[in-house]
Amino acid sequence: MPTADRGLDVSGLTARAGSFTLGPVNLHIPPDRVLVVLGPSGAGKTMLLETIAGLRPQNGGQINLAGADITCLPPERRRIGLVFQDAALFPHLTVQQNVEFGPRATGAAATTASVDLLHQLGVGHLAPRAPRSLSGGERQRIALARALAIQPALLLLDEPLSALDQPTREDLRTLLRRLLAELKIPTAYVTHDRDEALSIGDDLAVIVRGQLRQTGPAATVSAQPADPDVARLLGWSELGYGTAANDTIRIGNLALRVPAITGPVQAFYRPEDIQFGPPGHDEPVSASFMARVEQIVHTRPLARITLGTNPPITALMLHRDIGQLQLTIGEPTPASLREGSLRIFQAGEIRLPTQPLSMQKASRRLPPADPTNSPSQLVNRPTGTETSVTNPPGGSYRLVAGPRPASSASGKGIESTAKFSRKNSLGL
Amino acid sequence: MPPKMARPGRLRGRHNDEVITADSAGSARRGGGWPAGWFGVVTWLLSGLLLAFIVLPIIRLFTTSSVASLHQAADTAAIRDATLMSLQAAAITAGIATVFGVPLAYLLAQGGFRGREVIQAVVDLPLVVPHTVAGIALLFLLGRTGWVGAPAGHLGVSFYGSQWGIVAAMLFVSVPFAVNSARVGFEAIDPRLERAARSLGATPWHTFRRITLPLGLRGVLTGAVLVYARSISEFGAVVILAYYPATAPVEIYNLYLQSGLTQAASAAVILLIVALATFLVLRTLASGRLLIRVERAYS
Repeated sequence: MPTADRGLDVSGLTARAGSFTLGPVNLHIPPDRVLVVLGPSGAGKTMLLETIAGLRPQNGGQINLAGADITCLPPERRRIGLVFQDAALFPHLTVQQNVEFGPRATGAAATTASVDLLHQLGVGHLAPRAPRSLSGGERQRIALARALAIQPALLLLDEPLSALDQPTREDLRTLLRRLLAELKIPTAYVTHDRDEALSIGDDLAVIVRGQLRQTGPAATVSAQPADPDVARLLGWSELGYGTAANDTIRIGNLALRVPAITGPVQAFYRPEDIQFGPPGHDEPVSASFMARVEQIVHTRPLARITLGTNPPITALMLHRDIGQLQLTIGEPTPASLREGSLRIFQAGEIRLPTQPLSMQKASRRLPPADPTNSPSQLVNRPTGTETSVTNPPGGSYRLVAGPRPASSASGKGIESTAKFSRKNSLGL
Repeated sequence: MPPKMARPGRLRGRHNDEVITADSAGSARRGGGWPAGWFGVVTWLLSGLLLAFIVLPIIRLFTTSSVASLHQAADTAAIRDATLMSLQAAAITAGIATVFGVPLAYLLAQGGFRGREVIQAVVDLPLVVPHTVAGIALLFLLGRTGWVGAPAGHLGVSFYGSQWGIVAAMLFVSVPFAVNSARVGFEAIDPRLERAARSLGATPWHTFRRITLPLGLRGVLTGAVLVYARSISEFGAVVILAYYPATAPVEIYNLYLQSGLTQAASAAVILLIVALATFLVLRTLASGRLLIRVERAYS
C-alpha cells in the first residue's frame, strides 16, 4: 500500500444479510474528503457502514485504512468513529463519561481532551448531564464528540441528522460541514436526503438495492446521473418512455430534439430548469411547447407548478419569478426545456459506470503491481463496469447506456437542437 | 417489575376534575382510561374476587395463630433450623442461578444463531415439568448411583439428603426465572449501544462489563429475586431429592402430618413472614437505590 495515503480504500467488499446482498463495493475516500453514500431506505447504506466498521461479517473484499489492511481486525481495533442516527449515547453514563469511554477503553487518560472536544462542539456546559435530559441536536453533538475522542482514522456517520427537527438539522449541518472540512479525516456520510447529500458531500456514492450505482464528485453525479434510479434520487423527474428516431424522441405529445440516438429510451428532466416564456435566441433548448398552468403549490423554498402537458410536467421555480412571469392557472404559457436539463437513458439496458473519486488523484492511488494488495481483485475487476463516461463539453445530453461511445454527442448536435426545437413546439 | 410504578393517585390528569358518571364500582377515571359502565362493573367484580382469593387465605392463616403459639413455634429448634435452611439454600440457589444464567441469557438475547428456539425451549422446560417429576429425575442423576451422583460421591459430595441436594432441586425448578429475566433485560438494550462501544475501542468483555451488564442489571437482579422467591417456596422437588435436612416447607408438611393443622399453621406463618420480609427487602434493593449505586460503581 502507498504509505502516504491516509484514506480509506474498499475493494470488492461484499456482505450478506438473509437474502440481501451488498456489493461488490469499491470505494476510495481520501483523507480530506467527505463521501456521501446516498440511497433510498433499505438500499444497504447502514449495512455498508457497519461492514466497514467491522460490526458485520463481510463475505469478501478488502478494506484498507490509513495504509493498513484492516479487513480482519475486530471493530475495536479499527479506529473508526461511528455516529448513529439516534446518537446511541450510553444512557447510564454522563455526557463526559460518554466521551471518555473510548479513550478509557483503549487505556488512555484524556480527560481534558474530552471536555475540550465538547466545548469545540458547543456542548461543553453539558458535561455532567445525563443523556436522557438532552435535546436531539445536543445528543448528536455529543455522539460526534464521542466518536472524535478516539482520534479516528475514519469517520462514519449514519444519517446523523434524520431524527432532528428542521432548524436543528440545518444548524448541525452547517456545523458538520465546517468541522469535517477542518478535521481532514476521511468521512463517509450516509443519508437518503438529497439536499443533505449535496450540501455535505465532496463525493457521492449512490447505492440502490445493495449495488453501488455511481460514484464521483457530487456535482458531476448530480448533473450526470448514470441510470434512472440515480437520476430519481438526485431530483430528476421522469418524463416517460419514448422511441428515438430521426434525432427526435417522442414522448406523449412532446418532441425532444436529441440527435444520434435510436431505439427505446427513458427521459428525465430537471424540474427547476423548466423555462417559461419564449426561449432566448442564445439559449439552446431541447424542446419548447405551450403548456397550460394547472396548479401552483406554494412550497418553500421553490414553488411547484403543475403543467397540463402530456406527459405531465412539474416545474420548480422561485416565488418571485411566478409573479414576474404572471403565471396564472388555466392560462397557456410558452415553456421550454433547456439543454442540460434533459437526461436520456437507453431503455432496457443499464450499465454501471463508475467515475473514480476525485479523479485527479485516483490514478496514483491504485498501484498496479503490489503483491500485498490482493492483486487478484485488482486484476479481475471487470473493466466494463469501471468505464467512466465523461460529458462532452457543452453537450446537451449524454447517452449513458447507449451502444456507441458517448463522445459522439458533439457540437453539431447542439446547433440542430436549437433549430429544431422551435418547429416542434406543442400547443396543449 | 418496573421500579417506579407510578401510583395511580399521582397520575391524575385534567380529566379528574370532570364530572364522572359514577357507577356502583366507583370507577373514577384515573389517569384517563379505566373502564366505565357495565364493562367496568364486571371488570372490577372479577378483579376483586381474584384479589380476595389471594388475600383471604393469608389473612385466615394469620388469624389462626396466636402470638403465644408463634413464640412457641419460633422457639422450636426444628422449625428454626428448617427456616434458616430454606433461606440459606434459596440465597445460594439465587447466586448460582445468576452466575450461570447470565451468560446463557446473554447468548439468547444476542439471537441470530441457529437453534436459539431449541435452547429457549430447554430453558423453559423446568416450568412445565411437574416438580415431583423433576425431583425424581434429579434423584436418578444425582443419587448415589446416578451419572453425576456416583462420581460426586467418590469425591465426598452427596446430593441425596444434603444441602447440595436442596440447592440442586431448587435450582432446577427456578433457574428459568433467572435466565428469562436477564434475557429480557439484555434484549431491551439498543444493540447500537454495544456496537458504538466496540467501535470506540472496547473489547467484547469490556463492552459486556461496562455497557450490557449495567444496562441489563435490573433484569439480572430481578431474576435473582424471583429465583430466591421461587426457591423458598419449593416443596415437590426438594422433598424427593433431599427430604433431610428439612427445609421449611418440608418441615411444615411434617408437622401437618404428625401434629395436625394448628401446629403446622404456626410454622407456616413464620415461614410466610420470613419469606415475605426477605422478598420485599430484596425486591426493593434490586429495583431501587442499590441498583443506582451499583450502576454508578460500574461506570
